[in-house]
Amino acid sequence: MRKQRLVALLSATALVTGVIVSIPVAANAAPACDGKVPIQSCVGVTSDGAPYAMSVPANFNGTVALYSHGYRYNIDIPAGVPLVGGYKITNTPEPVPGGNVAVATYFFSQGIAIMGSGFARQGWNADSAIKTNVELIDTFKKQFPNTKKVIAWGSSLGGFITQALNEKHPELISAAAPLCMADSLAAELTMAGDFLWGLKTLFDPSIKGSDYAAGAAGNAQSVGDIIKVLTVMSKLSAGISTGAWPDTSSATGKSLAAAGIPVRSALLLLGLMAGVPTQSAHFDSVSGPEGALKLTFPLAVSPALAILENGTNAAILAILATQDVELQTGGVSFDNTKTDYAARVEDERIIFNAALSGNAVINAMLGALSPANPGAPRIVGNAGAIAKLNALHVNTGKINVPTVLLTGVADPITPAGAVQRIVDIYAEQFANEKLAAIAKYKSTRSYVAPVKKLVTFWSITPSKGYTTFSSAGSPITTTPAAPGTNHCNFTTAQFLLVAKTLVHASKTGKLPLHSAITKAGNIYLDSQFRAPWLKYHNQ
Amino acid sequence: MKAMNRQKLISVSTVLAVASLVATAIPAHAAHVGVSRSQIKLGMTLPMTGAASLGYNKIPGAAKAYFDYLNANGGVNGRKITLIVKDDRYVPTEAVARTNELILKDKVMALLAPLGTANVKAVASSVNPARRGVPVLFINTGFSGFADIKKYPTTYTILPSYVMEAKIMGEYIKENFAGKKIGLLYQDDDFGIDALAGFKTAGVNFAVTVGYASGSQSAAAAAGWITKFKAAKADVVILFAVSSATSAMLGTAAVLKYAPQWMLGSVGGDATTIKLTGVPAGVLYNAIGFSSVPATTDLNDEYIKLFSDLYAKAVPGSPFDLNVLLGMNSAFMTAQALKAAGANPKRKSLMAAIDSKGATFASSALVPTGYSKTSHVGLTGYWVGKYSPTGDLAPIGGTYVTYTTDSGTGAVVKSTYKRPAMPAKGLPN
Repeated sequence: MRKQRLVALLSATALVTGVIVSIPVAANAAPACDGKVPIQSCVGVTSDGAPYAMSVPANFNGTVALYSHGYRYNIDIPAGVPLVGGYKITNTPEPVPGGNVAVATYFFSQGIAIMGSGFARQGWNADSAIKTNVELIDTFKKQFPNTKKVIAWGSSLGGFITQALNEKHPELISAAAPLCMADSLAAELTMAGDFLWGLKTLFDPSIKGSDYAAGAAGNAQSVGDIIKVLTVMSKLSAGISTGAWPDTSSATGKSLAAAGIPVRSALLLLGLMAGVPTQSAHFDSVSGPEGALKLTFPLAVSPALAILENGTNAAILAILATQDVELQTGGVSFDNTKTDYAARVEDERIIFNAALSGNAVINAMLGALSPANPGAPRIVGNAGAIAKLNALHVNTGKINVPTVLLTGVADPITPAGAVQRIVDIYAEQFANEKLAAIAKYKSTRSYVAPVKKLVTFWSITPSKGYTTFSSAGSPITTTPAAPGTNHCNFTTAQFLLVAKTLVHASKTGKLPLHSAITKAGNIYLDSQFRAPWLKYHNQ
Repeated sequence: MKAMNRQKLISVSTVLAVASLVATAIPAHAAHVGVSRSQIKLGMTLPMTGAASLGYNKIPGAAKAYFDYLNANGGVNGRKITLIVKDDRYVPTEAVARTNELILKDKVMALLAPLGTANVKAVASSVNPARRGVPVLFINTGFSGFADIKKYPTTYTILPSYVMEAKIMGEYIKENFAGKKIGLLYQDDDFGIDALAGFKTAGVNFAVTVGYASGSQSAAAAAGWITKFKAAKADVVILFAVSSATSAMLGTAAVLKYAPQWMLGSVGGDATTIKLTGVPAGVLYNAIGFSSVPATTDLNDEYIKLFSDLYAKAVPGSPFDLNVLLGMNSAFMTAQALKAAGANPKRKSLMAAIDSKGATFASSALVPTGYSKTSHVGLTGYWVGKYSPTGDLAPIGGTYVTYTTDSGTGAVVKSTYKRPAMPAKGLPN
C-alpha cells in the first residue's frame, strides 16, 4: 500500500509540474507560474516552509479544489524493512488524491483549478497544516483574483484537516469532503496503541512500543519494532493454522498457550479490544472453503486472519505515530493504566464467542491482560506529554458547508467509526437547526426548513463475501484488496463521485439528491447504516 | 446521545405539525415499507445449510406452510404474506450481510424468527434494527438479555429464556433427584451464562460442570466430556446444549454404554433432529425433557392437528417436529399481530399491537407470554416430560403440568394459564 502511495505521489508530481518551474526561494513569496496553456502550473512555498503546487486551467471558472494529503511517516525507513521499507520523508505537494489524472482532468473540464500542499512537516501535522491551507487559499486568491469558491477535500489525516477547515474557517470554503477521515489523534493512537500493547504483552515483550529515544536512536528503535511486529505477525500467521504461539511470547502468553488457548483467539481478542475491523483485504469472516471447514473457517478462523491483516497496518501505524507524537509532546503520550479491556469487548465477546473459544477462554485471556497481572504491565503515560497531545486540534463535528463523507466500512487505519461520529454529531446539529427554524416560524409565521448539509458515502465490502480459496482450500491473499477494506482504498469512480458532488454543492449550495448518486460501485447511501465509534470514545 | 434522541423526537413531531399546515401534495395513501396493497413482506435469516442447520432449517418451510394456508384463506386484510428467507449458515457476519439485504434491498416490513444468540446480537449491533424501527419478531434464542427493552426496543422474544428453563429444571431436580450427583454440559457462551445463572438461582449444586466452546462439539469432544461425568460419578447429566452437541453426547454415550439419567434442554432436545444424526431412539428412552408447546405427536391437540396437517401437505415426507411446530406457531402469532395492527399495518402499529394485545394472542404454547408495553418477553415456562421408547417426548403422567417463572429471582410456580381456544380454522380473527 505504501509503495502504491509513493507511486501515486510521483504521478502527482508529474501531473502538477509537467514543466518544472523554479520554486521561489523566499517563503511566502508569490508562486512561480509557467503561464502555460491549457493548464498553468504554479509552485511555491508558504511562510512555514510548506511547498505547494497549483494547476489552473485556461478556462478557470473561479473555483479551486484544495486537496490535503494524508499521514506520511516522519522518518526514513531502510529499504530492507518489509512492507514499508524504502520510504523517505517527502513533502511533495499532492493536489489531487494519489495524483489521480482522471480526477484532475474532471476538475479541469469544469474550469476548476486544483492545488495542494506537501505541508511543512510530516507525521501528525494537523495544527500546522490547517494554517498552511489557510495561507495557501489566500495565496491562490491573490494570484488569481477572480477566485470565488474553494472546495476543500482530503484523505485520512487530510480528511481530518479538511473537517477542521469546515469547522474553523467555513468562510473560506464552499464545500468539503473529508475522505477516510481520521479521528482525533488521541482516538487513533488509542486504537493503534492498544493493539500494539497487546502484541507486546502476549507475543513479544521485547517490542518497545513507546518511550522512543530522540533522533537516530529513536528511529532505530521504531524500525526495530516494525521488524519485530512483522516477525510476530508472520509467526501468528503460521500459528493460526497450527495453533502454535510465537516462540517470542511472554510468560503471560506462554501460560495461556500452556492452558490450550488457541493463538487465533488471543489475536482476535486483541483486535476486538482495540476496535480493529474483523473484515480485511482478503478475509470477509463470511466465506469458507468447500468441505469440512466451510462453516468453521468463517466462524472460528477468518475473523482472526482479518485481524492479522488489519492489525499489521494498525501496529505499524502505532509504532511510527507513537514515535512521532512522542517527539512532538516530549514524552510517552499513550496511557492504558485505566483501560477496561473487558468492557471494551462486552458486545463482541457474544458475537465472536466461537472464534474466541468460549467464555472460559475469554475470561482467562482478559484476566491475563488485566492490571492485576504483573506479567502484563500497562503503559504509564507522561502527564505533561498527554496534556500537550490533548491540546492539539480536535474536531467537534460541526458541519458548516455542504459536506461529503466517504469511507470504507472496514478501513483498518481510520475506522469507519470516525465518520460515524461526525454523522451522529451532525444529526444533533440538524435537529437543533430544525428546532430553531420552528422557533422562528412561531414568531414570523414563515417556516424555512434547514438545508441538510451532510451526505455520507459508505464504501462497503461485497455482501456475498470475497475470500477466495485455492483448490486445496487455502485462502488466497494475492488478489487486490476488496472494496471497503484497506486504508483509503477508493476507486477512481468513487473519487469522481465525490468530486462531482462537491462541484454540484459548490455551485448550488446544496447537496445533490440521493437518486442522482448511483454510478460508483459499492457505495452505500443508507442513512441508518451504523459503524461503531472508535473505542477511545467509550460510547 | 440520549438527549439528542429526545430532541429529535420533539423536533420531528413539531416539524410534522408545521408541515401539515402547508402539506397539500402528499399522497393520501403512502405505501409503508414492506407493505403494499396486495402483500406484506417479511424476512428471515437462519442457518439453512451447513453443520449448524440441522433441524433449524425446517423453520422457514414451516412458517411458509402456515403463511401459504393463510394466503389461501385471504391473507391478512386481503394482503398475502411473502416470507423471504436467507441462509446465514449460523455465521454472525453473514447474518449481518443477509439482514442488511432483507431490510435495504428486499425492503421487508419486519424480521421474523432469526436464530442464534451471536447472530441476533451481531445484527443488533451492526444492522441496528432498533434505530431503523424494524420489528424483530419472535427470535429463536432464549438469551435473556434480548428482553432488555431499552437495548432492544424492537425485538420480541418467543422462547422462554434459558434462565427460566434452568430454574424450572432446578425445581424438578430438587423435587425428584434430591441427594443425587448432578452433572451439567453447557455451551460456554451467553447461552451457558443464562443456564448457570438459572441453576444458581434454583440452588442446584453440581458435582461437575463441563463447558464447551460453540463450534467445538464433536464425537471426540463428547468422549472427553463423558470421562469427566464418569469421574464425578454423576447420576443425572443435564445436556443444556445445542442439537449437535446433544446428539454428539448421546451418540457417543450409546457407543460407550454410558447411561446416566439424562435431562435434555429444549434447545437440543428435539427427538427428530437427534435421531436424524443416527442416535438410536432407545438412548433417549426415559430421558427427561422440557417443552413449552404440546408434544408434537399429540394429535388430540387442536393446534398440533391443524399444523401437522398443513405441514404434511406443504412439505410431504418431512417429519413434523419441534422446530416445525415452533416455526408455524411464530407464523401464526405474526399473522395475529399483523391483523391487530390495523387495516394498513405499519412497523410501529405492528409493534404496538404486540405490546397491547400480544399476551392474548392465540398460540399452541401451554404457557403464557409476557408481552406488554413494558415487556417483550415471550413464553414464560415449560412442562416436564419423558421420552418414550420411540424417542417422543410426552408429559409425565400423561397430563401437561406447566411451570412458569421469570428470568430473575422469581419463584417457579405451577401455571394456571388457560390456553385460548384456537380461532376458527386457525386463522386470525
